[in-house]
Order: sequence, then structure tokens, then C-alpha cells
Amino acid sequence: MICAFCGYEFDPTQAPACCANCAMSGSCHMVRCPRCGYEAPAESRLSKLIKSIRRAISGSIG
Amino acid sequence: MTLDIKERALTGLRRLRVRRRSQSSCHGSGPTAASGLPTLVIVGNPNVGKSALFNRLTGARVVVSNYPGTTVEVTRGHLRADGVELEAVDTPGMYSFLPITEEERVARRILLSESSYLVLHVVDAKNLERMLPFTLQLIEAGLPVVLAVNMLDEAEAAGLEIDLARLEQELGVPVVGTISTSGRGIDTLRHRIATTTASVVPPRTYDDKVEAAVSEMEGMLKGEYRLSRRAVALLLLQDDAEIEQMVEDAEGDGWGSINEFLLRLRTGRARSLGYTISMQRQRWATSLVRRTVLASGRRGRNWGELISRVTMNPITGVPILLLVLYFGLYQFVGVFGAGVLVKFLEDTVFGQWVNPVAIQVVEAIIPWPILQTLFVGEYGIITLGIRYAIALILPIVGTFFLTFSILEDTGYFPRLAMLIDRVFKAIGLNGRAVIPMVLGFGCDTMATMVTRVLESRRERVIATLLLALAIPCSAQLGVILAILSPHPRALALWGVIVLAVFLLIGLLAARVMPGQRPSFYMEVPPMRMPRLGNILSKTYARMEWYLFEVMPVFIGASVIIWIGQITGIFQALIRLFEPIVELIGLPPQVAAVFLFGFFRRDYGAAGLYDVHAAGGLSGEQLLVAAVTLTLFVPCIAQFSMMLKERGVRTTLAIVAFIFPFAFGIGFVVNALLTAAGWQL
Repeated sequence: MICAFCGYEFDPTQAPACCANCAMSGSCHMVRCPRCGYEAPAESRLSKLIKSIRRAISGSIG
Repeated sequence: MTLDIKERALTGLRRLRVRRRSQSSCHGSGPTAASGLPTLVIVGNPNVGKSALFNRLTGARVVVSNYPGTTVEVTRGHLRADGVELEAVDTPGMYSFLPITEEERVARRILLSESSYLVLHVVDAKNLERMLPFTLQLIEAGLPVVLAVNMLDEAEAAGLEIDLARLEQELGVPVVGTISTSGRGIDTLRHRIATTTASVVPPRTYDDKVEAAVSEMEGMLKGEYRLSRRAVALLLLQDDAEIEQMVEDAEGDGWGSINEFLLRLRTGRARSLGYTISMQRQRWATSLVRRTVLASGRRGRNWGELISRVTMNPITGVPILLLVLYFGLYQFVGVFGAGVLVKFLEDTVFGQWVNPVAIQVVEAIIPWPILQTLFVGEYGIITLGIRYAIALILPIVGTFFLTFSILEDTGYFPRLAMLIDRVFKAIGLNGRAVIPMVLGFGCDTMATMVTRVLESRRERVIATLLLALAIPCSAQLGVILAILSPHPRALALWGVIVLAVFLLIGLLAARVMPGQRPSFYMEVPPMRMPRLGNILSKTYARMEWYLFEVMPVFIGASVIIWIGQITGIFQALIRLFEPIVELIGLPPQVAAVFLFGFFRRDYGAAGLYDVHAAGGLSGEQLLVAAVTLTLFVPCIAQFSMMLKERGVRTTLAIVAFIFPFAFGIGFVVNALLTAAGWQL
């Protein structure tokens, strides 16, 4: 994932330790850039589903 | 000179945190090549083709393992270069010798701990200016360096022509142009790796003051270090806590005088020495690029760069910001989202279909009136809670998040940070505070947590105060825009008053709270054309997150109000607020709005919308209510986050100030409007 603020590329699954200590981390679904702290939403399930359908379609065509 | 005791304590605390962190992970010498071979350490930013180059050099036989004590993966392989066998280590992405993330810390530990090695620094040929400062740091560290200028094909496609020979001459280290995807330059690279063993004298980069500080620090260092003493001195001057720990361990009794020298240097400076060193290093890199990237290939101004420049220049940037606010917030969120969409959902969807059907169904199923009111009463779960969430808040935050995602995807926000950095410095913050402030327009609770990115406690407290006081969250902002947009003068006054409060309180807080002026610099990523897929995906993700967060709270609020009504507590609380509300010229039914506002800011704003829709407020009263509600105390969620982040004393002090201040401003605004006889 590329941070929309500072352009840093990082692995969104490696959440900073501070997020694990936050009471809202269970329902938050935001991903924080470890470099600048900017938060952006993690990819939604719908978006992942649409991407996988598109991949499947282009795979079956190609 | 008497040194500040607080400074010493803070320094000690920082290094104690570093010591604890080191003890929980690999500490000391770290892994050396198990094979006993000389090690080639490959470093560079993410996305420069480092791993592709590693694969080209080593082939298929590699070992991936976690660096001891961490979850960071490190890849090792073997390469043969001109008959010389080496072990190659592909490190995680690293921007500079000053690490921020765990990956960068691991990469630096590898550099500090691996023995008999050569460093291959891989850079992106299109972005030499951004990457050469790190090359300089590696040379300053006294490490034998080979520079691979990778992705030459992309640079050539962009019209760039790099004089690699001149770059090599100026840097004093071997420079090889490569294309890792096709293998161009790999054989030359192997040869240069095999024949390079010695470090070089770094080019002169810094001014006399910095060089004097570095020389004095070098003279004090007596211990043995894997880096050059110059590099250690520079890292100490740049407040690197891990290096401070390393030096303290190495110097023993000598550390005292070194620490005193550092504290003396830090005290009383308008700008940190670390900032000065970074700036001078960047200037050197910019000047070197001008000499080595040839005129015919020099990147011409393109639209992205032009737009980037005008957005950051105050003369053009401020009008652009005002246009963004006008079209993005006022027209799209306020008029369209909070006006057209809300009106349709409220009046047609809920007014004509959902509410009447819900009332009929509930009254048919549930025989007890008291329970019926829980679902379809004045504050019922369906008639109020769900209606607020779906008909009122969702279209507002939806349009807000759409605007936000477009601006975010273009890369506008870091430029906004640069633009308002000067203004923010006057109120004790800097451009970095744009991050929590911008996020605060989405949700102040999250933004309060994000104040952690600010470097000093002073900045974090000031930012928390301003977020709680003068930054309305998206739903609150949208509703206020909706109710004030038919009264343009009232809207303009609201904006001016809130902005004035923001700046004035920020200025006062900066004067009252002791501390240094913060420095700010950041790498601004290129502007880009927003992509529809990205925008829709991020908008949907934000709306989904917001809805799932908001819905249970709104339903819960309906339940709590229902209980409050049955027990009489709700009415008693409203009666407490009524005299205060009447004091600022508002009708008593607005008291419930402020009570709602403490549960959720958006819930309070939604309540104000209902009162306005019922025709209960004049233009002047709308302005007073909007100003007071904007400045009013944070909602429960934000309050809880403030307690966690800032502690009980600071949080209670902030709330104790905001409560009377918000109503005080409302009183003053009402008094001035009445005295002036203005009709809005």
C-alpha cells in the first residue's frame, strides 16, 4: 500500500503497535502509514470481490 | 551555562525506550554471514528495483528468513563476481540512515553489524535528487559504496540523460547504470563490485558551523565504531536515539561530556541542527543533479510540477484553497449533499415511505405505547436514530468523503501542509499538523489519536485543543453548511468566527505553553491524476467504516434517550441546559441539540437540522447555534480518546476551558448581532 500523503510504500498488514493498543482497533479498518501517521481505509471486501471477479473474467478471456 | 533539567530527563527517557526496544530484539553484533564470505549489503528506497537487481545478481538460490527478534524478512543469496564469491543481503526499503519504521531499523542494523562488506546502493534514475542524500550518508559512514543507477529505461523515456561518468567523478564512488528488468549493466556491476573495496573521502557538503560541530564531536569520540566517527557525529547531531545508546555503551565515562555538548547545541536554537544538516545535504544533492543530468534530458516542467508549484506558493495556493473549499465543501457537500440529497431522503424516502410504514407496523405488533415510543417515538430508533444515520448523515459524509478522496488521490494534501506550514508555525504547530487537522474533518476521534505523529508534547496538546474546539467533523460540517447555505452572510460569518477562534486560541496556547518552535520538512510525492477506481474504492471504504461505526451509536443514543425520558433524567438534563441556551438568544428546544452533541457531534448537528427544518430559528439564531455547536465540547468518543492520549488532567483542563468558552462566544455573537441590528 502506498501512503496517500507521503508516498511511502508499506505492508498494510504490519499495523503499528499503537493501533493494537487502541480501543477502537477492532472496528477501525483504517490503515496508518508508519512513516507519517496518515490514515486511510483498508481495502473493503466489496472492492476485493470486484477485483477478483475482474481478474477471473480477464483470465478466462485471456 | 545551566542546562535544562527537563531536556536531560527527556533525553534519558528517549534512550531508555531505545534500550528496552533493543533488548527485546537483536542487540549487539547481529548475524554475520554464516558462510564466512564477504557480504554485499544491498540498500535503497522501496520501489527502485532493488529486489530485481538482487535476483539478477544471485540467481534462484536464496534464503528468506526473519531478522532475529523481528518479523522483518531478510533475503540472502550468493553471487560470484570476477571469481570473487560474496554473500548478498537484500535489505528492507530504507530512505536514509535515520530509521523510522521497524524495517528501516533492521536495514540499518544489518549495515552496522555485518562484517567485511560492500554496500550496493540502488537508486531510481528518475529521482536522483531525492535519493542521493542517502548515498552521501553511506559515503560519510566510511563504507565502501557502489551506486547502481537503476531503471535507466524509464529515465530515458522521461527524456532524462544522466552523465554517469561525471556522477562517479563527483561522488568518488563507482557508478553503474542498470536496468534490472532486462539485465542491462549487470555484468559491469558485477565487475565493479568485485574490484571495489575501499571507502572514499566524502565530498564537502556542510557549512562552517556544522563542520565545526562535527569536528568537535569527532574529537570527543574515543570508542570503536563500525561507521566512521564523522558519520557517528552527524547521527548524534541529528538526535538519533539508537546511535546515542550505542555511543553511550561504547564511550562509558566519556559519554557525560558528549551528552553535555549535545544538550548545549540543542538549547536556544530556532532550528534543530538535524534540520540544518538535512537541508544542506539536500541542497548538495540538488546541485549535483543539476550538473550531472544533462540539459537535453533535463526534465522539463510538466503539468504535474506546475500545478504542484502553484498549490504550494502562498500567492496562488491560497486562492486555490479557497476555490477547493468553495466548490468541494460548500457547493458539493453543503448544497448538493446536505441540501438536495438530504431533502430527498428525509422528505420522500423517510417522510413518505419508511416512517409511516414503520409506525404502522410497530403499532400493529407492539401493544404497549411506552415500547412503541422506543422504536417510532420522537426519539425512536427508526424515526430518529436510523433516520439520522441514513437520511441525514450518510449523504453528507458520502459527499464529503468523495471530495476528500479526490483531493487525497491527486496528492494535494502534502502541498496543503507546505502551504500552511508558516501559518501553523505561528500557532505552535507546523505543516505536519495538517495530517490530524485534515483527518479531523472526517472524524475528530481518529484525528486526536493521529496527533501522535507530532514530535513534541507541546504540539500534541495544542493540536488536541484545536481539534476539540474548532474542527467540525464531516457530518457536523455538512449539516452546518446545509442550514446556513440559504443565509450566505451567516455562513461567511460562521467561517470567519471559527477560523478566528482557531488562530487566536492557537496563538495564545503557543505563547502559554513552553517549548521550542517545531521544524518541518517532508518529501512531497509527485502530483498525480486521480483515478476513478481509487476514488470510488476509498469513498466506499470510508462510508462503510463510518456507517458501521455510526449506526450502533445512533441506535444506542435513541435507547438512552428513551430510558432518560421514562425516568425523567433526559428532561432534567435539558432543563439544566435551557437557561444557558436562552442566555445566548436561542429557544429552549435547542437545549436538546447540545445534549445530543455530547453523544456525537453529528447527532447534535442533526438535531439542529430538525429544529431548523421545523422553522424554529431565525438566520441570526442559526448563526449563534452553529458557532456555539462547532466550538462546543468534543463528543464522548473524542473525549475518551483525549483521556487516553493526553491524560486526565490535560483533557479535563481542555474541556473545562471549551465549555464556557463556546457559550461565551455564542453570547458575544448574539450580543453583537442584536446591538448592530443585523438580519441574516
